[in-house]
Order: sequence, then structure tokens, then C-alpha cells
Amino acid sequence: MTGPKNLESRTKHIKATWARHCNKVLYMSSEATDFPTVGLNVSEGREQLYWKTIRAFQYIHEHHLQDADWFLKADDDTFVVMENLRHTLSKYSPEDPVYLGRHFSPFIAQGYMSGGAGYVLSKEALRRFVGGFESGVCDHHSSIEDMALGNCMENMQVKPADSRDVLGRQTFHPYPPDYYLLRKPPRPRPWFLIYDRYTPREGPDCCSDHAVSFHYIYPQEMYTLYYLTYHLRPYGYQYRYNPEESTEINTPLVTA
Amino acid sequence: MKGSRCAFLLGFMVGTCSLYVFLHQVWFERSYPVLSEAQQSTSGVGRSTSESWRKEGPALINLLHPHHAGEDSRRSDMLFQRVRVLCWVMTGPSNLETKARHVKATWSRHCNVVAFMSSVDDPDFPTVGLGTGEGRDQLYWKTIRAFHYALEHYGNQADWFLKADDDTFVVVDNLRWILSNHTPEEPIYFGKRFKPYAKQGYMSGGAGYVLSKEALRRFVEGFRTKVCTHTTPVEDLALGQCLEKMGVLAGDSRDTLQRETFHPFVPEHHLTGKFSKSFWYWNYCYYPIVEGPQCCSDLAVSFHYVEAELMYTLEYYTYHLRAYGYRPRYSPSLPSGLGLDLPTQTEKTAGHKGTLEGTGRVTQTIPVTLRGNQPKEEVVSERGRNQTSNLLSSGNSTTTWTERQQ
Repeated sequence: MTGPKNLESRTKHIKATWARHCNKVLYMSSEATDFPTVGLNVSEGREQLYWKTIRAFQYIHEHHLQDADWFLKADDDTFVVMENLRHTLSKYSPEDPVYLGRHFSPFIAQGYMSGGAGYVLSKEALRRFVGGFESGVCDHHSSIEDMALGNCMENMQVKPADSRDVLGRQTFHPYPPDYYLLRKPPRPRPWFLIYDRYTPREGPDCCSDHAVSFHYIYPQEMYTLYYLTYHLRPYGYQYRYNPEESTEINTPLVTA
Repeated sequence: MKGSRCAFLLGFMVGTCSLYVFLHQVWFERSYPVLSEAQQSTSGVGRSTSESWRKEGPALINLLHPHHAGEDSRRSDMLFQRVRVLCWVMTGPSNLETKARHVKATWSRHCNVVAFMSSVDDPDFPTVGLGTGEGRDQLYWKTIRAFHYALEHYGNQADWFLKADDDTFVVVDNLRWILSNHTPEEPIYFGKRFKPYAKQGYMSGGAGYVLSKEALRRFVEGFRTKVCTHTTPVEDLALGQCLEKMGVLAGDSRDTLQRETFHPFVPEHHLTGKFSKSFWYWNYCYYPIVEGPQCCSDLAVSFHYVEAELMYTLEYYTYHLRAYGYRPRYSPSLPSGLGLDLPTQTEKTAGHKGTLEGTGRVTQTIPVTLRGNQPKEEVVSERGRNQTSNLLSSGNSTTTWTERQQ
């Protein structure tokens, strides 16, 4: 989700870093350009966010439904680790009517997914979303994109799935890591922790080793995060956290 | 009568509501399930430090290499035992709570011995009192005294002696990898190499530098014989000049692809910053400066000007966050003389971030992105004898790798 103003300042850096790991990437804007962006029939601004989302998904449904199994929406200040997303999705089938993201509980009975942290719809969920607008079950009654989409999902019987890892750590994050990693002195709980459907954790246990997304990442930080995710690591460790493999830890070393 | 009853009821309701709202906030706080320290350690998140450290005087001896559940750290454990590093952190009384404490909680846990060097003794933290003053002009005095102290008290418990600031972040495991190619009897030291003022250059103080035991002996000997004296408070330069006089070599700390490992700034600065041509850095760096993603080794050792919060964030990024499904694309080996006989890596797909059995060969593989019109990065294999790397790109989304070594 981007706009003409942000192409040079933000979207360009996403294109240079994590977007390369997608099977297919589309930059949704109000105008079509050579970036390349898709021109949706909307204008810019926070009020238009849900319109843009609706139009974007309709566009994808019309032109790219067969190109993918899962459909991720991200902002132009979201950093996504695509391999970890694929790992999280591998438990589900694209024909399941599910969608995943950072599960918030208020306002909607079954909850909804935080927009900033990014959310991903299965192919069936996308069909139902678009179908909901055709049949009139869903409509544009609010410009709060994530909540309104959650409402439509609920009406169309699309279930929110749990995106946490096997240790219960969150993978989608609506804020940068230091908002969760750092234990803060006692204070009134900030909204983004109150909204969480699952008990939030602060400190090192907040975030999965295979985290999928972080939000409010400014452009230079995209490159830094890319280096820190895909490159920097300590020497000498093997699969420090691997959900499937059992590890033989602490077997005695055979020394010469 | 009725009116006053109404008023009473109304007042009662208002009182109850406000009390509820007030207490709700307090209950909210109590019910917020933040794990206490004790709960955290039992839940296995981050080993509690008390049982794994031994306090010996003002230094902390690491008894157990930090582990997380579900990780196989045999190779780094072996290095932990064979390549013993004493880390001393330059700090001061006013920085203990704001900076040194966070060093203590994060990367210094990977050192074999840790000592926090201050002007004043603090048995609780603990810090070593060097008997100097505080301030930039005392830096070399502190360094001299700190190294003398380290050799005298802990010379037997370490092979290499690292100096870091309280705003330096060090990946000690990667440091051990670099040092594993050398022995502590070599008169050599490593760091971010600068070129001016000394013939062989000197190492940046902020990025941290590490001396072999022989280098440290010669440093101390230099002061005993007055070959070295306190010439200037510019600690890194003065130390470099002393070591040069004492025949200690300034080592090349770059990795096998000539990428820097010690960094005088934060990662973001090296990765995305453009240093202006008039910036001093251009004239100081011994090796050519690389801007952009090749600035920094995958096995980077240090960063400087790291604030307290960034210490924790970097620890998460380094030791935890990674992309699923890759084997380490850059996985240089250890020298075979270290006698590590790990079972040969079998070719398992998906989920392994295993290191390859090393016999002096290095393979670099880079993740391939899917879809034809997106850039494909090559598989580069270096120094290989009959070495083939097979790239398997599966039809579905996950890219898996198998590599064969012959």
C-alpha cells in the first residue's frame, strides 16, 4: 500500500530489499506509473485507506488470482521476512477460509488483524472478500481499513488463524522490535498491547526467532533490518530454534 | 425524604463508579502478566545469570556458555573452550546504570571473563577501580592500568584480551572465529584498522580491539622497560604506537571476502550512510571503505555508538531473528587443527542453519529469489577443490539448498 509521494522516499527501498523475496509484488497507488505501480480508482489519504484496500484486492482477484496462493497486504513502512511468512503459512491450505496477522480483539467479535503489521489472506478468503462486495454483504462503512476488513471477514465466515510460533511468540508486529523487546518500567499499558488477543509479552520472549513483520520501519532501516535478518549471525551455532527438527544438544564433543 | 434518598443513591453510584474506574486502572496493571525475573528464568528465556557466573574479585568468570533451548551450539561451545577471551569494558561510575548495565545484560555474557574498568571500585556491580580520574584525558591511563590489571590477575584464564567501550556491541562468537586462525603466542592484535600516525596503523578504540596474550605481555613489558610511556591521552593511537615499538603486528581482521568485521559506527550508518568526502573517516581507514551492503561481514564482530536500547535489539537480531529455510550462505570453516570432529552435515532440507564441516574450503551461497524477472544472485564457490554446489529450486515457495562436499 503506497502512494505517489512515497515512491522515491519509501517504496523504492522496499523494492530493493525484502520485496525481492515475494513470488509476485504489486505496488498499489492512486496512479499508475513506471515504478511500476497499479493505479486504483481512489485518491490518497487516510480516509481512502479502506477504499484502496478494497480496490487493490479486487484488482488482484481479477488479474492475479492464479498467480499465488496467499495474498499479503503490507504498508510502505512494513518490513517483512517472506521466508518466515511461508513457514507460518505452511500449516494451512490456500483453500481454507483463513487469514493471518497480528490478532487484535476489540470491536469485532472474532477480532481482526492489525493493518500496519500486515495481514495475509488465503485464496479462498480473497474470493470471499471480493464476493462479499459483489453480493452486498460487505460494504464500505468505515475508513478504518483493518477493522472494516475484519468485519467483512467475519460476515463472510473467514476465520482468523493464530500466527504465533510453537512457543507462543508473536510473528507479526505493528511496531518495531524495540517496542516489545525492551522491558519498560511499570506504566499504563499502551494501546497496542491492550488490543492484543493473546497475552502480550514484553522482553526477549516477545518476538519469534522467525518473526514475519515489523511496522513503522523508516527507509534506511529497511537495509539495516535486511542485513541483520539475512546476514549478521554468530558463528558456530546450528539451528538454534527449529520448530520441526529435534536437536541433539549438549552431546559431548569428540576431541582429537 | 425521597429527594435526599435519591441524592444519596446518586452520590453512592457516582462514588462507586469513580472508585471502580480508578481501581480498574490499578487492577489492569496487576493483571498485566509481565513475567517477573524468577518466572522468566524458569520459563527458559535467557539463563538466569546467578548460577552461571562466578565472581572473582571484581571480575565475572563465565562458567557456562549461554544457551537457548533447542539450539545446537557445539561448534561455538568448542570455540568458547579453546579460544578464551577476557573482555574488559571501559566505563565509569556515572555510566554504570545507563550503559554498563546493559552491556552486562547482553553481549558480555558470551565472554569467558568480564571486567568492568572504572575509576572507582564498586564491589556490587562489580567494577575494578583503576585509581585514575574520569574523562577523556584519562583514557590512556585507564587503558594502561586496565591491561596491566588484566594480565596480572587473569592472565591464566584467558588467551585473548578485548577492550571495548560501554557503547560497543560485540559478537564474541564471531570474534572467536577470527582469532581461531591464530595462537595467543603470536604477537598480534586486531580491530578496525586506521592508517595515520603509525607505520603499520593502529586500531580504533571505539570499535574495540583485541590483543593476544603475547601482545599483552609485550605491552606490559614495554612500560616496565620504559620503551612505552604515557605519551598522549589518545588511547587507541598511543597503544598502537607502543605495540608497534614492541614488535606486535597489526592484524587484518577482515573476513575471507575482505569485508570489515570491526565497525566504528552503528550498522545503519555503515549500511546506508554516505560518508561525505571531507569526513575524517576516508583518510583514516587502512583498507578501502565500502559503502552499502558489502560494508559489513556476515560475521561482524563489533559496532560502536550503540545506545542502551540498541544493545538488546541487536542481541535479538544477531542471536535470534533470521529467515527460515536457509543454510548459512556464508559459512567459512575453522582451521582443521582445532580437532573438532563433528558429524558431517547430512543433506537435510528446510530449517537447517547448519555449518559445513570445514577442511579449509569456503563456500558462499546467496539466497536466490524466485520468478524469472527478479534478480538472481549467483552461487559463488571459493577455493574449492572438486567442490560442487547444487542449487535446487523447488516449484513451490520455499527455496531449499543442498550442498555437496567431496
